[in-house]
Amino acid sequence: MKDKLKKTFDSIRAEEELKASTLEFVSRKTGGYRKRKTVPYRRLVPALACLLMLFLGFGGYHVYFTPTSIISIDINPSLELGINALDRVVSVEGYNEDGEELAASLNVNHMNYTEAVEEILSNDIIAEYLSQDQILSIAVAGSDEGKTEKILSQVRACTEGEKNTHCYEASHEEIASAHEAGLSCGKYRAYLELKQYDPDITTEEVQGMTMKEIRDRIASLAGTEEAGESTSYRGEDSAQQKHGHGGQEHSGEGERHGHGYRQESE
Amino acid sequence: MRSEEEVNRAVEQYADTVRRLCMIHLKNYADTEDIFQNVFLKYALSSVSFESQEHERAWLIRVTVNACRDLLKSFFRSRTVSIDEIMEQPAAPPSENREVLEAVLSLPAKYKDVVYLHYYEGYTAPEIGRILGKNVNTVYSLLKRSREMLREKLGGDEYEG
Repeated sequence: MKDKLKKTFDSIRAEEELKASTLEFVSRKTGGYRKRKTVPYRRLVPALACLLMLFLGFGGYHVYFTPTSIISIDINPSLELGINALDRVVSVEGYNEDGEELAASLNVNHMNYTEAVEEILSNDIIAEYLSQDQILSIAVAGSDEGKTEKILSQVRACTEGEKNTHCYEASHEEIASAHEAGLSCGKYRAYLELKQYDPDITTEEVQGMTMKEIRDRIASLAGTEEAGESTSYRGEDSAQQKHGHGGQEHSGEGERHGHGYRQESE
Repeated sequence: MRSEEEVNRAVEQYADTVRRLCMIHLKNYADTEDIFQNVFLKYALSSVSFESQEHERAWLIRVTVNACRDLLKSFFRSRTVSIDEIMEQPAAPPSENREVLEAVLSLPAKYKDVVYLHYYEGYTAPEIGRILGKNVNTVYSLLKRSREMLREKLGGDEYEG
């Protein structure tokens, strides 16, 4: 059987024509036996494309959801809006009970910040506070100064119609220490100011107070310390800003601060 | 990738082997041509370094068998051609061998490889097992059964393997 099988198979041979066409095909497919280096690279292309998509996805997500600036709004409810690089609101956070309540009732995520501020100002709770002659303070902070200024001017334009509002810039460090104390930026600043006159004040107390209450308290305490001080508060931005950076240097800060008042009251 | 000379030599050297394997599995010339192109293109592009001629031969056999299987699977046995048509292939052997070839071709696919590799290429069962990725004992029983079937088909014990 072996011999017969062998003979049978021996009689089967590959045709010359078949060999030639195969060789020609291989030669054509391999580009004349030259394309060596391109093959591994080509395999990498889809993988790299996938990686790129992944990075773009994560990067986009990261860019979108990282706040670059913060708008802090305080009356009694303390509220902070995180603004991303594309001027959209990506986070809303309340820093006291009222603020949390307000934050929960607001739907300003992904809105442009000017729209968001307008929306908040027209909110019933805020409107009620404003109608009670409360002071609304808006602080804008960010790592990019130009951007912060732009936002600030926009926000100012938004709040032009309201009296008793004042807007100012804040720094990043300030925001960090404010958050550490559990206060929003605007309130933290007011708290520091108050602390100069009343060193016993605590952040918890401040948290529950309205901005007007704080201002009034500052004004009354300042009034007792520095005679002839005006009780109405109209902080000038530059004075505010200088003050905001200051630590607890009581006398120096107080003096500079007082200066601001004097300028205003005169 | 291999050089043109290498591929030319391989085609010269192994074309008959590949042709026979195609003969066993495939039923028409166009498929055979496909397999030839696939197998030798794979050979040209592969960077496997062969330790010996034997290694190279075994590699080509395995590639060919797999290529045939893939082709048949993709056709999903929808193409059935009668045995007479096979005989009309250009490579149809002379008539005295026709009987034997017919007997081999009528075996189920899994026996044909084994019969060819053992009786023609002279591989032992463990070697066949390695080439086809089968258990040695499986190869032994495949060989035994195919021998019985061939004997039955061809008659007599003159074909004692």
